Amino acid sequence: MQMGNKNDELRKKRNKPQRYYDYGLLAVIIFLCCFGLIMVYSSSSYAAQIKTGDSLFYLKKQGFALILGIICMFLVSKIDYHKFAKLAVLAYILAIVLMILVNFTPLGIEYNGKKRWFGFGSTSLFQAAEAVKVALILSLASLVNKFSKKIDMWKVQLLIFAIQAPLIYLVLDNNLSSGIILFGIVFLVLFVASRKKARFIIAVAAVAAAAVFITVFSDKIIELHILKEYQLERILVWKNPTAYALEGGHQVLQGLYAIGSGGLFGKGLGESMQKLGFVPEAQNDMIFSIICEELGLFGAICVILLFLFMIWRFVVIANNAPDLFGAMLVVGIMSHIALQVILNIAVVTNTIPNTGITLPFISYGGTSVVFLMMEMGAALSVSNSIKYER
Amino acid sequence: MVPNYTFHRRKILIMFVTCLAGFGILMGRLGYLMLFQSAHYTALAQELHERERSIKAARGRIYDANGTIIADNKTVCTISVIHNQITDAEEVIGVLSEKLEVSADTVREKVEKYSSREIIKSNVDKSVGDAVRACDLDGVKVDEDYKRYYPFGSLASKVLGFTGGDNQGIIGLEVMYEDYLKGENGTILTQTDARGVEIDTAAENRIEPVDGCSLYLSLDVNIQKYAEQAALKVMEQKNAKKVSMIIMNPQNGEIMAMVNVPEFDLNDPFTLNYQMDTSVTDEEYQDLLNKMWRNSCINDTYEPGSTFKIITAAAGLEERVVSLTDNFYCPGYKIVEDRRIHCHKVAGHGAENFLQGAMNSCNPVFIEVGLRLGVTNTYKYFNQFGLLGRTGIDLPGEAGTIMHKQDNMGEVELATVSFGQSFQITPMQLITTASSIINGGTRITPHFGVEVQNSEETVIEKLSYDTTEHIVSEETSETMRYILEQVVAEGTGHKAYLEGYRIGGKTATSEKLPRSENKYISSFIGFAPADNPQVIALITIDEPEGIYYGGTIAAPVVADVFDNILPYLGIEREAVTEEETAEN
Repeated sequence: MQMGNKNDELRKKRNKPQRYYDYGLLAVIIFLCCFGLIMVYSSSSYAAQIKTGDSLFYLKKQGFALILGIICMFLVSKIDYHKFAKLAVLAYILAIVLMILVNFTPLGIEYNGKKRWFGFGSTSLFQAAEAVKVALILSLASLVNKFSKKIDMWKVQLLIFAIQAPLIYLVLDNNLSSGIILFGIVFLVLFVASRKKARFIIAVAAVAAAAVFITVFSDKIIELHILKEYQLERILVWKNPTAYALEGGHQVLQGLYAIGSGGLFGKGLGESMQKLGFVPEAQNDMIFSIICEELGLFGAICVILLFLFMIWRFVVIANNAPDLFGAMLVVGIMSHIALQVILNIAVVTNTIPNTGITLPFISYGGTSVVFLMMEMGAALSVSNSIKYER
Repeated sequence: MVPNYTFHRRKILIMFVTCLAGFGILMGRLGYLMLFQSAHYTALAQELHERERSIKAARGRIYDANGTIIADNKTVCTISVIHNQITDAEEVIGVLSEKLEVSADTVREKVEKYSSREIIKSNVDKSVGDAVRACDLDGVKVDEDYKRYYPFGSLASKVLGFTGGDNQGIIGLEVMYEDYLKGENGTILTQTDARGVEIDTAAENRIEPVDGCSLYLSLDVNIQKYAEQAALKVMEQKNAKKVSMIIMNPQNGEIMAMVNVPEFDLNDPFTLNYQMDTSVTDEEYQDLLNKMWRNSCINDTYEPGSTFKIITAAAGLEERVVSLTDNFYCPGYKIVEDRRIHCHKVAGHGAENFLQGAMNSCNPVFIEVGLRLGVTNTYKYFNQFGLLGRTGIDLPGEAGTIMHKQDNMGEVELATVSFGQSFQITPMQLITTASSIINGGTRITPHFGVEVQNSEETVIEKLSYDTTEHIVSEETSETMRYILEQVVAEGTGHKAYLEGYRIGGKTATSEKLPRSENKYISSFIGFAPADNPQVIALITIDEPEGIYYGGTIAAPVVADVFDNILPYLGIEREAVTEEETAEN
């Protein structure tokens, strides 16, 4: 009896499902955040010294946001993600309200002609679009979960698009690049959720064909007065940044100078010349070019591989998630990170026309880092609910 | 709870693979940019970051024959302010306006102007620059620079020349030896940020300047000074327009002095050396400056007159169409074709031999010699003597000889040329040809430059000049020396006679064109010792008033100069005995 008890206990212990926690993901998040801080300091200190008299100006702000973000991440990761599902509708409504407030009321604060910030009077609190991304990912996962049985139907897929459309439209108005990313997330999540492939492939092919057409025939399109030159400006700049150095090619061109002068191993950390005011606001969208200049091709590829590793962790978590909601949540987060990294590097290397997209975890931006860390918390929370047996 | 199906997993993997492909493309793009395009973008970026500042090389000095510096460099300072480095604007304004004697308002305007660099004052004396530097004011820069400085002021001004704003030679030897003197400017490559502000921590890429080489001249300051005084004296006495004098070693062409009074101040070359009564336009002012800078010994031609008889005589003797004892008769004129050409002595010299004709400077005698030579021979000797080209002196802007074309030369032209009229040459050409005739027949190239030394005082080049031997025979040369010594001893040049020295020479008085104005150039060419010439001098007095005969006013000046420079050159006075005097 005693023996039996003992065996029972042993068996119980052995069969007790182990709670999984993705330390690999946690490690890469922390590494990228710290690396980001270093690069923000490196790329901003000179300009900060001149502008504010404090070379640590941007580093301090970013550091503060990061601490806040890490706290958020741990808190969120400790919450069972199923509880988030209940917040999905609320998050969606809040996002809509937020966007309306930002777009149409004085609570939206304008910078450089774009109303992107939410705040009161002169104090801006956060960039609305970053919050909307979280709300969209959450509501999307929830919707997919709800309609899982009929998800392959055109009707349902269009409905899900239709539900997210107002949000995307509101963001698109002032922030084209974030709108594109939101759209991309919806697209990718639906792709994963549905059994169908053809329609998605056709959609991608159609967009690609349109892009190629506009690019190749941009001169003709202007000649025939279908579109005006300024409407195609970004494409023209992209095709020949040198010729449009004054009309917007400047940033891209300076970025290319930085990347090109990096060479194989770079000039060494802190040794960038291009950050001395040549690349405008080097700590923002163009920070990857400074990484290239200082750390070379080697450093740049390391950074890309780190992001790839992070995405791989998302794949593992999503594949092992106990249910569809968890998986879709992680797929949404993964889409977000993947899209932003690819688009950012593609813009910086002038592979695609310029749109203002930040590099996650590394570019300067408090709002971005806080909401990103919340997403990471959610992903960790999903990973935490994976049970496995020894 | 909806489970996670296998097709979801497959779709997620498809998405991951797509990401992988995307990252792959980007890595490829990065590899292309950072490996294959790296050199291109690095060069473009570097061009953007680097600023070049030049470091001026010190211009080479010019030394005279004694090693005295006659063209030097002075360190001057440029004082400028850098707006965003200024910490105490009021102090900067106060100190600078006081030390530089600039109005406070001017300084304030520049201090408050937002620019990378504003020059407050340039060409500031070094002591003032040092005083400003000692104040150690933030945002005030004191940059040192070189400026040409001529310790002797106006001495040999038209020979030495001066330099312009970039320390480049403008006239004279400064232009001719520009390549030796200028040196090579160095550069400092500095890195700047996007605003153009230099980055202190960046390593400077410095290319040191190479200082210019020093030029050693044959010009002797003491002789030049003395000749200048003598020339000035006669210019004032005769109220002449200008007086030029060349003193040269006839054996090798080294010029010891070249005077063109009035000279001008080399340290202030853009101010006229006389008072101007009327106001002129900038263009006219520039013309006046150009006129002031002209070196009439080489830049201007004149009708040499009787001094040219040296050449006619040498050609005649060399061709053996005349000898010392040939007899001539001068009725006061000579008729050539339909023209009656007068002798300067209207009454005529009567019967005389060739030597006497030369001593009298008798025109009909030399016309006869010229006619005996004929056009072809005359031209042959002019060519042989090097008279028709330029002398090749190491000064810029030498004028050529203006002579009748051989085909257009009739008997009348030939006759006038024989006594130095109806054509023009430079004084330099005349003295050079005369030297070549009396030195034994070697055509020399007149020059100032002797050698070039680099800044470490190593001789890097001994300057050499062309010579042509046997333009006349030694015998003719000797005869010429004898004739010319007789001219001074007993002929028209007797006022150049110096006791104890054997001096040869020839006078000239040429009437300027148009003849009706009665304006003259009086000249005298003289050399010593007559048996072995070591020094030759040519003086030309332009438009003297009163007595204008070369023998009367030009010859004594040369005598005066010789009296002083011959002992200086170590040519001893011979003891004059009663016997010799009697013989003379």
